[in-house]
Amino acid sequence: MATPHPTRGTGDLTTFNIQHGFAEALLRGMRSSFLKDADYHHLTQCETLDDVKLNLTETDYADVLADSNAMSPAAFQKVAVEKLVCEFQYLRTQTVEPLSTFMDFITFEYMIENVMLLLKGALGGRDINELLEQCHPLGMFKESTMRSIPTFENSARGYQDLYQTVLVDTPVGPYFAQFLMESASSRSGGSYNVLAEVEIEIIKSSLIKYWLEDFYNFTMKLGGHTAEIMGELLRVRADSNAINITLNSFGTALNEPAMRTSDRKRLYPGFGHLYPAGIANLSDVTDEEELGRALEPFPQYAAVWNIHASGHGDKTIDDAFYERDVQMLELAFESQFHFASFYAYVKLKEQEIRNLVWVSECILQQQKDEIQNFVQVFSQNAPWRK
Amino acid sequence: MAEVPPTRMNQQVFKLKLKAAQGGHRLLKKKADALKVKFRDYAKSIAETKSGMANDASGAYFSLTQAEYAAGNFKQKVSEGSMTARIRVGAGVDNVAGVKLPVFSKYETGASADNQSLGLVGGGKKIVAVREKFTNLLEMLIKLASLQTSFQTLDEAMKVTNRRVNALENVTIPKIEDTLAYIGRELDELEREDFTRLKLVQGKKEEEQKAEAKRKALLPIAPGKENEADITAEYDAGDDTDVVF
Repeated sequence: MATPHPTRGTGDLTTFNIQHGFAEALLRGMRSSFLKDADYHHLTQCETLDDVKLNLTETDYADVLADSNAMSPAAFQKVAVEKLVCEFQYLRTQTVEPLSTFMDFITFEYMIENVMLLLKGALGGRDINELLEQCHPLGMFKESTMRSIPTFENSARGYQDLYQTVLVDTPVGPYFAQFLMESASSRSGGSYNVLAEVEIEIIKSSLIKYWLEDFYNFTMKLGGHTAEIMGELLRVRADSNAINITLNSFGTALNEPAMRTSDRKRLYPGFGHLYPAGIANLSDVTDEEELGRALEPFPQYAAVWNIHASGHGDKTIDDAFYERDVQMLELAFESQFHFASFYAYVKLKEQEIRNLVWVSECILQQQKDEIQNFVQVFSQNAPWRK
Repeated sequence: MAEVPPTRMNQQVFKLKLKAAQGGHRLLKKKADALKVKFRDYAKSIAETKSGMANDASGAYFSLTQAEYAAGNFKQKVSEGSMTARIRVGAGVDNVAGVKLPVFSKYETGASADNQSLGLVGGGKKIVAVREKFTNLLEMLIKLASLQTSFQTLDEAMKVTNRRVNALENVTIPKIEDTLAYIGRELDELEREDFTRLKLVQGKKEEEQKAEAKRKALLPIAPGKENEADITAEYDAGDDTDVVF
């Protein structure tokens, strides 16, 4: 895949600020927008969503909440995501190359999700305008692209046209092309067949894999601190994707012997701490026990795996991964002179939004026992700070 | 009852009617009791299912929240699925004391579960848990629906049966008994009337006999006609016994 070559370097300790100082300064300012321990404490004490909203008006969310009459977890989420997107886009407009390309890369993940949503939804005969509303705002294409999607006829031929004339021009088009090419080489049939037959999650996972690889290559080419820190983040992300894909494939068609090598193996990213030896082991794994054994040589994942294997405690493997992610993202955010802090900012905000939804859902559903089971961001009480 | 002619035949007819009514009453009473027992059973299991469901439902919805925390919002992907029902509800009939109760049972259509790989890159296990919990909830829901419908049908049937029992007990049977009493009374009355009439006739006859005897005693027997007189005397009306009609 043709990973764009960065036009110039990121600069180092002495030269980073010439180009990217302002954007980074803005980002540092946004550090204070995260909910603090006290905020979380107050939120978890709430009895109703009214209280939650009241408490949120004393945080950075005050302005966006003041304008909306949001009163459900989903509505809170919508408002919070909009705020994040607004901040992200503001940051994006302040950047110059290669940081702007880097920030675009961050949005590709959401674009992939949106493309899948649109294609699958349109294939199922859904109203496109309705689908557009459900797209993640961070992964929106140009207005003209969005508008052109509903103009295609609702048939197999129409979707091929849609793909060939519109989607190939979007930033995620190449990933799509690569996926279709690989699928076509392993089985016969046009793009519409692939869309109709392959499960949406598998297509998405493939695209995410290509994106991760592309992003990783780009980061490596940037070099310097960015390559160091962002490379580590992406490697861990690739590994956790591989582990999750393996774990979640148990009990599905993906775990069948024929599919293991032909389909599941193709979903594993081609880099990371597990690559290549660990990945090779993973592709032959058939159950949880074997997965545990395959992860044994990797202490950091063995630790995560033990949390999962130790049974039904408070934590699941997803929580363990989230915790690990947050820890690494915090570190990435707090170091300087590199781009990874922009990525970390988006991901940490995302975690915060997830927490917010979690807390409000718990309050709505009267599940007070579970309300503490989320991963706080920049918490003084985090296990890795004790 | 006044329109019933008080005759022996009618008395027989009404005696049979009374017997039939009492038999029916007994049977219906039994049926009502059986229904009542079943009704209580159903009420009990409805209460149990409902209280269990409150927990199950909140558990299921909370597991959905947990899955969304782990896997992001996947509702959209689910609604884009093939939407072929994997579970359908079949209707059967249960017979309780002659009342046909609808019974719903779930059966699997055998359609393959789509979205198997949902949450592949995270939260897949949680989504499996959600699937399980909601399948359980659905089962409970079907059971409750079945119970609730049976309960209503049973309620209806019980009302009808009770109405019938009460109608037999308080209206039909007393009415027949009244009629029977009336017929008996009238028949007795007729008997008594006959009796007094006969007495009267007999009294009159005796008086007439006495008067005749007196007249005969006073009448001198003509000479040469004694024998004739004697012959006729033998056939005198007074010698005959009364003819009763």
